[in-house]
Amino acid sequence: MKLAVLACTGLDKAEGSVAREVAIRLAEEAGARIICPVVLNCTPARYKKALAEDRLIVVDGCAIQCAGRLAAAAQKKPAQKVIVSDVVKKTGATLGAGLRLGAEGLGVARMIVDDIEAAEAAACGRGPTSGEAPAGAEGATAAVRFAGPSDFIVVVHDKYEFRIPAEGFLFNANDVWVQVCGTRARVGISDYMQQHLTDITFVDPPPMGYVVEQFGELGTVESIKATFEVISPVSGTVVSLNQAVIDAPESINEDPYGAWIVELEPTSWEQDRALLVDGPAYAAEVERKASEY
Amino acid sequence: MAESTFMGVPRSKIPWAPSIDYEKCDFCMECDEFCPHRVFERRDGDVKLVVANPENCVVFCRACAKTCGPDALSFPDKPATVALIKRLRAAETALQAGPDTVDKKEGEE
Repeated sequence: MKLAVLACTGLDKAEGSVAREVAIRLAEEAGARIICPVVLNCTPARYKKALAEDRLIVVDGCAIQCAGRLAAAAQKKPAQKVIVSDVVKKTGATLGAGLRLGAEGLGVARMIVDDIEAAEAAACGRGPTSGEAPAGAEGATAAVRFAGPSDFIVVVHDKYEFRIPAEGFLFNANDVWVQVCGTRARVGISDYMQQHLTDITFVDPPPMGYVVEQFGELGTVESIKATFEVISPVSGTVVSLNQAVIDAPESINEDPYGAWIVELEPTSWEQDRALLVDGPAYAAEVERKASEY
Repeated sequence: MAESTFMGVPRSKIPWAPSIDYEKCDFCMECDEFCPHRVFERRDGDVKLVVANPENCVVFCRACAKTCGPDALSFPDKPATVALIKRLRAAETALQAGPDTVDKKEGEE
């Protein structure tokens, strides 16, 4: 499920500029769809799909709550609601008289984005397989938000077929994938690698709270044929282990893109992603590796 | 055959492979038995094991070191290797940017 952000564009207050900045950052960092309140007010049909399908984040500048009212008028219940003036009051920040944001205003925006992303991660991070948590409403949300691939690129080599998700997954050159959802990232090994390893018999994950650098080690996966070091595609902290996969390592053979091994809170995703490749580029890499093997 | 690459960089330019400390190595051959990439080769004589095919080593993998009881295997620094790959990728991009860039960067003295 995607995020949509409906933010105050209040052009007459600095708080409006903060709300706008929050919307832009959520769009950039979490892929949120921006709903312009002005357009929503004039032509609500334009956002029918977003309002029907997405989790809505409402960011208002001041207590008038124009964005919140527009959401109510559209009969959409927000998943999260923030009022910038409340945050400013609570933190004692000074936005100044001007409308352009200074360092302090940008800092407030950053803090609000972090809080929103953390709350989203809390909603999508507690997956049904991350421990003893029951697969309740939040588990269901997680399953939707960390959605499995819908479309595959298939690389055929001799009698082998290697499947690569066309989108939603990025790969490092060590055949490890990462799927990012809000402020969480799940990591697993590719179909090519699981076929290469053959029957997987043991997963030895890193401990919870383990801090890893990009290309550092995230535990090992052992098969009847070899031991594979899971090379982390991202820098971050391990926040969840997939107990179901640890208990049944063969699930990696059965569903390599569903059987995530660890979940991390990435610390420098924007930098890290520059050194990863998307599905089509990884497919080309698999083709090369398979032909050289 | 085309030259092997890693992250778009010629593998030959990435110095990632194990080094054997012969002061510590007792030639138990656990690492050689473990590694599926034929990085090591056995020899007759005093030095019974060498890193014969360093470019076969999977960049960033250090799994063989865990099999080494006497702790005789070491690898290059990982962050330094990442930094080197980033630099080489940037140089590759500059090369693709056009002959002018190449001349400036790699012109003969």
